[in-house]
Amino acid sequence: MNVADISILLVDDDEMIRECIGAYLEDEGFSMHYAVSGEDALDRIATIRPTVCISDMRLSGMSGETFISRANAVCAETGFLLHTGADYNVSDELRAIGMTADDVFQKPIHELSTLIKRIKKIASARVQF
Amino acid sequence: MLQKIASVKPDNYKKALFEILDTLPFIIARVDREGRVNLVNRRFEQFSGMSAADSDGRLIWELIPQFALKLREVTGIIDRQEALTDERIQVGSGQNLHYYSLQIYPLNSDQNGMAVIRIDDITKHVRIEEIMAQTEKMIMVGGLAAGMAHEINNPLGAIMQHAQNIERRISQSIAANVKAADEVGVDLAKVRSYMEKRGIFEFISHIRSAGVRASSIINNMLHFSRRSEARLETVDLSTMLDRVLELAASDYDMKKLYDFSSIELVREYASQMPLMTMTLLEMEQVVINILKNSAQALSQAGLGREPRITLRTKLEDDSAVIEIEDNGPGMIETIRQRVFEPFFSTKDVGVGTGLGLSVAYAIVTNGHHGTIDVLSQPGEGCCFIIKLPIHRRLS
Repeated sequence: MNVADISILLVDDDEMIRECIGAYLEDEGFSMHYAVSGEDALDRIATIRPTVCISDMRLSGMSGETFISRANAVCAETGFLLHTGADYNVSDELRAIGMTADDVFQKPIHELSTLIKRIKKIASARVQF
Repeated sequence: MLQKIASVKPDNYKKALFEILDTLPFIIARVDREGRVNLVNRRFEQFSGMSAADSDGRLIWELIPQFALKLREVTGIIDRQEALTDERIQVGSGQNLHYYSLQIYPLNSDQNGMAVIRIDDITKHVRIEEIMAQTEKMIMVGGLAAGMAHEINNPLGAIMQHAQNIERRISQSIAANVKAADEVGVDLAKVRSYMEKRGIFEFISHIRSAGVRASSIINNMLHFSRRSEARLETVDLSTMLDRVLELAASDYDMKKLYDFSSIELVREYASQMPLMTMTLLEMEQVVINILKNSAQALSQAGLGREPRITLRTKLEDDSAVIEIEDNGPGMIETIRQRVFEPFFSTKDVGVGTGLGLSVAYAIVTNGHHGTIDVLSQPGEGCCFIIKLPIHRRLS
């Protein structure tokens, strides 16, 4: 599998986070897309159809949970990861779409390679090659 | 006055009054102007260890010398006809620490004056107050931490992750790096050896480890508001304690600060302990934090005896009890009362954050519906007591 075939939509209203995580993922070779809010991401996710979508828990306008539920309805093949500032137990709603505790990344992510591993695992389960 | 109560015959008044005095859970005594006892109740006899007959006519501060300081004021109290109240008198220390409230009321029935003394053991009440004050503080810090975590974790993440980005962008294994270096006409290998030579890689790695440290402080504070019902496990306490001792022996921080292997470890596990339901990782952290505190206390110079930590388990009513006792210097009462307070530390800046024991407190009380307490005899050591309910209500 070619990493460039893995597309990622990173949704975070904090530019600093888009930049620091984005740079790492770009260096890894993924095709990166960015959204600055839940609405912005919902507008574009159907066109981008990312392999993986990483969403912040706190987005302006809606919660990460709400965003993921709505985005999943549009783009069911996308794997979702949640980036959260505090403790988070995966809600029943998100469990229903297949998310587990492994899909939750607590800030600050100490070792970004753990994120890469999770992305690749999701991608290998979803991308046909 | 106990008068005109039709159902009690006047002949029985005296008996009734004595019965009342003996039944009340207070120490009661009547003294004359010089402080000589002329009436005591049963509690007084039990407390002083002397019968009413033997007490008669003796100075009250000789019978219950624990309260002598206040009792000696009795003459003044009678002369001024002004009651005295002391809401909290501390008696004893360590396991035997008790709190009492004391009142002296002047009586004017006798022409020379008399006074009645009432002393009440309020130890339980004081303990509950301490726990409530502690819990309130925890909740406050917990709320603060939860809010702060959101605000601080983003910039902290940026610091830690950009440090990783810098490491990657000077790596020769990424094609874009080599290409960019070529474009500006520098040799990436030479840039790397320069950075190596000037210790820059080390700085970057220190930025990362400092980030990890800061994030663990915030993470610790989040325990104050955390309920972790999701990760409950069934645990055998002695297995858990043994595992923690192993962890402690290999813990890097432990090794850095004190030689854990030089401490004698005594295990006194009760044989018939039930399996307990708990969040194992958290409870291990509780024990580690207490062990660290004890080991640090034991490392202080001039102890004059072989350092020892005793781990004990036992059953007590409906609780499983874990005791961790050391024979270190102990702590004075004013410190003992504050050890579970967030950010309270007697250690040098940089040695302790003052969070270890408050995290232990939060995990036991918030997370596991238990209690944690510490008793100390200054000069002899201290004993942490964790009580966990056996029949746990899951809230």
